[in-house]
This record gives sequence, structure tokens and C-alpha cells, in this order.
Amino acid sequence: MSVTSTTPGTARAAAATRSGPTFVRLLAAEWTKLTSLRSPWWVAGVTVAVAAAITYLSAQASSGDPGFQPFDSLSSGLVLAQVGPLVLGVLAGAGEYRTGAFRTTFTLVPRRWPVLAAQTLVVAAFALGLGVLATVACVLGVLPAAASRDIPLDLTAGETPAVLLAMTLFVVGLALLGFALGVILRRTVPAMVTALVVVLLLPVMLTLAGEMASEPADPASFSSTGEGPGPITVPGMLLTFSPGGAAQEMTVPASYQPVAGSPDMSPLGGGLVLGGWVLVLLAATGVRLRTRDVR
Amino acid sequence: MIEVEALTKRYGSTTAVDGLTFTARPGTVTGFLGPNGAGKSTTMRVVVGLERPTSGSTKVAGQRYADLPAPLHAVGVMLDARSVHPGRTAYKHLLAMAQTHGIGKARVREVIAQTGLESVATRRAGTFSLGMGQRLGIAGALLGDPATLILDEPVNGLDPDGVLWIRRLVRDLAAEGRTVLLSSHLMHELALCADRVVIIGRGRLLADATVHEIVARSERAGAVRVRTTDPEPLARELIATGAQVAPQEGGVLQVRGASVDDVGTVARRCGVTVLELSAESGTLEEAYLQLTGDAVEYRAAGTQGGAR
Repeated sequence: MSVTSTTPGTARAAAATRSGPTFVRLLAAEWTKLTSLRSPWWVAGVTVAVAAAITYLSAQASSGDPGFQPFDSLSSGLVLAQVGPLVLGVLAGAGEYRTGAFRTTFTLVPRRWPVLAAQTLVVAAFALGLGVLATVACVLGVLPAAASRDIPLDLTAGETPAVLLAMTLFVVGLALLGFALGVILRRTVPAMVTALVVVLLLPVMLTLAGEMASEPADPASFSSTGEGPGPITVPGMLLTFSPGGAAQEMTVPASYQPVAGSPDMSPLGGGLVLGGWVLVLLAATGVRLRTRDVR
Repeated sequence: MIEVEALTKRYGSTTAVDGLTFTARPGTVTGFLGPNGAGKSTTMRVVVGLERPTSGSTKVAGQRYADLPAPLHAVGVMLDARSVHPGRTAYKHLLAMAQTHGIGKARVREVIAQTGLESVATRRAGTFSLGMGQRLGIAGALLGDPATLILDEPVNGLDPDGVLWIRRLVRDLAAEGRTVLLSSHLMHELALCADRVVIIGRGRLLADATVHEIVARSERAGAVRVRTTDPEPLARELIATGAQVAPQEGGVLQVRGASVDDVGTVARRCGVTVLELSAESGTLEEAYLQLTGDAVEYRAAGTQGGAR
């Protein structure tokens, strides 16, 4: 291998700009770090493909129903494809710690928390691109079924634009939730398991518990509420304010009835709850980075 | 310039570094030596701000590391090879490092060339051999053209070619007036390139001196070795002149308190045939082993019972 020693000339060239980290520089560095790995691209590709495939199959399956509405099938692909942004976030968040790369990162930026902020924005930006592509994939997945029934899919009508926007932000929100779990747990597998339990398992369990709790045990109360939403139950509250339940709330059109026992929450409200969870986890991580050793 | 002052670092009840004080000065290569687990890496991690001291302080270029406005330009750091994401190529790893300080791609290519990584720059770091990983770590340390370099076990895993390269590199860096602190658990590595050696064991300072001074502390240093057909009369005669004699195997005597000339004269006087006569010089390795003998944290199973 060729061996050369430092030349004073180049040393001086580098010395010309001897300024330290700025937030814009950290954004550039973190973008390079995220996009120079293979996993984000793989996850993004698979997510878009799964979103398109599931939406297509779901729309095809229900296109035979008399009351088929392509619009209803729009977000069906995200039920499974939501794992994608979670994995993306967990890998981005825990990756640094799992591999030891954080030592390099934090020796370059001893204040540490600007790195966390830059990583959060970079993951959000990447996930925003992924969210747009996944939403487009879902629309494309619905088209064949809509065409087979001659039902035009008007993306600008009614609640459709809001749902499309919500689907995109849903992907961003889940990626950030995965990222926040990744940076706080620092290991890929525990963070992944936690993310899947919180986002996939917990809402199902709470929904079932909510339905059981809101069953009309007392006929009098049932008749008094009539057709309106039932009384709000503890599992229903937990569902609404859990990160997974809040995320699901985002893609449900505002006009739909809430899950039994849950308070009625708009997609915006769901997004805010999810955003709150992400902020709390990131704030805890930031405090820990400031006050504790990184080893 | 690196100043470590009364540094103590505890993890729970374990004391990793215990009241350590030393200074690494510009223009010199300071070797940082100690057995595995002696606290070298802990000290280095505290110096670069990854960990906080339990008490005491460390400064680089007169400032706390965390207060440096541009750390990459002030201090080049190479900690263990596991400081790189294995899924990232060498070029992208260095580029991301450079971007944090607004350093351009041209400088990234320069350090890649300087460390001989051109042919593997687009390979993922996870596929690197230990030696290539070390070169990548050094490339990262050189990136900001810093006045101070902190290299943790840079020679580890390098082929002979690479070892020579590192020695020359650190000598050149020091000759340019930079401060170089490099750790090793192998004395002879440092003997060949360090001006000064700081030796620690179990977190405590054992020696802080030039290589020459440390060699002189070796038990063997200043002794005379003589091999003869008839050691006993010679030993008696030497003791009579006031020397200390330690008989060894094969008719060898180790003599202290007498010069080579003295021993030769005495041998002639008592009529023994001298087969070999030489002044012994200690090696850095021996001095090091004697210093750290009590401070070795982990011993091979065979010698465990006989720990001194």
C-alpha cells in the first residue's frame, strides 16, 4: 500500500476553514449517514410494494360488494405497511448505539443533543418521502378495482385529500415513534419488539377490551344513549391516548364513529397525541444524553 | 497538549482510573501504556468527553473537550475500531464526519490517500479487516488536521507494513509540532516510536518518564553477565570485593556493583576460564513487566496462584 506522510501544504488548506459544527452541517452529515446505509432503502422499497399490494388485494376483494367505495380501501394497505416506517425509525435510532458509531458522532459534537435534533429531522424528511410514495402506491392499488366497477376515484372530493395527507403523516409519525424508541432503548431488538407491541398488538387488545367493557350490561343506560357513541371506558381512553391507537386514529376519516368506548378523536387529534409521545421520548433521550456518559 | 489532572473515574464500586495525573506535550509522542483493563481506554474516553470524570479534570489545548468550538480540528480521535457503522462505506463514514465541520470532499479524499485506503474506500466498513479498520480510524483522526491526536491501540491488528507506517506517521506528526498520545499494551511498540511513556496499572500512575529512564529502572540494567567453567570460586571472590552475585543456570553469574572490567580482572586473579562476559542492559519490556507485575488485572490461568 502506498504510504505518504502529512504535507504541510494540505494542512494549511484545511486550516483555512476551522469552524465547528452548525445545525445545518449536522443535518447534511446525518442525511449522508442515513442515506449511505442500505437498510433505509430496502425498508422503503418493501414498504411501498407492500402498501400497493395489500391495497390492491383488499380493493379487489371488496370490489364485489354492492356498496363498494374505493375510498374505503385506500388506507387498508397501510395496516401492514406501517411496520416499514417503524423498522426504518428503529434502525436509524438504535443503529448508532448498536454499532458503536455513537462514539465517533459524539466526539465530533460533544454537546450531543443537536445530533439528536438533526437525526430526528433527517428521519422525518426521509419518512416524508416514503409517506408520499406509500400513499401514491395505495392510490395506484385502488385504481384497478375502481376501474372494474366504473367508479371514478376523485382524489379532491370530500375527505379524500385530508385522508391522503393523514396517510402520509401517519408514515412520518410511525417512523419518528420507531426512531424515538430506538434512541431511548439503544438496542435494535428490544426497540423493535416494543414498537410492534405498542403499535400493532396493544391497539387490538385495547379495542377488544373496550368492546367488552362497553357492552350494554345495564339496559337502561343503553337505551338512554341510543345510537350515539357509548360511554367512554378505561380501555377506550387508553387506546385513544396510546401511541398505536393515536396513529390509527390518523388514517380514520373524521366523520367515522370512534371505536367503542373511545372518545371521538379527529385525525389531527390522533396526530397530536402521537407527536406528543414522540416528543416525550425524545426529550427523555435528550436529557439522558446531556447528563449521562455514553459508553 | 493534553492535561490529565487527578482524574478519577468510578463505575459503581469499580474504580477504573484512580487519581491519574500526566501531561502529553506538543512535539512529542507520548506512549500510554498499561495492561488490559488498566484504565487507558477509560482515560481516553474521559479526555474526549464521552464520559465525565468522577473527580479531577482533563483538558485539551487548554480547554475542556466539551468546550472546544471545533473538536475535529482541535483533536483527532481514534478510539476502538467499533466506532464505525459497519454498513457504511469508508468514504461515506469520513464524509459524514467531515460534513459536521464543513470540511470538503477534497480533504476526505486526501486522508483516504494518506492512509492507503483508496482501493477500499467504497467498501462497507463491516467487510474491513482489523488493519483496514485501524487505517480508517486514523483517517478520521487526521481529517480535521488537528494539533492533538489521541489514538487508542492504533497498532493493534496491523500487518508489519502497517506497523512501520504508523510509527513513521506518529513520528512525523510529532515532528510537525503536534501532540500525539497513543496507547498500547505492548511495550516494544511504544519503545520504537514514543519519546515519553506514561505507564498505568489498575488506574494508577506507575511511571511517567522518557523511554531511557524507564529502561534504566529495569532490574537487569547495570548488571554484568559472566559465564565461566567454574562459577563458585569466582562468585566467592566477587562477593569479597563487595559485589552482589546472583548465580544462574549454565554457569552464569549476574553481578551487580562491579563493572565488566572489574569482573574480568577478578576472574583472571582466581584463575577461572571466562566463556562470556557482557554488560547487561534492561529492555523496556522488562521494566514494564516489573512495573506492572502487581497491577495486572487478568492473568493466564497457569500463573494465577503465583500472582505477585
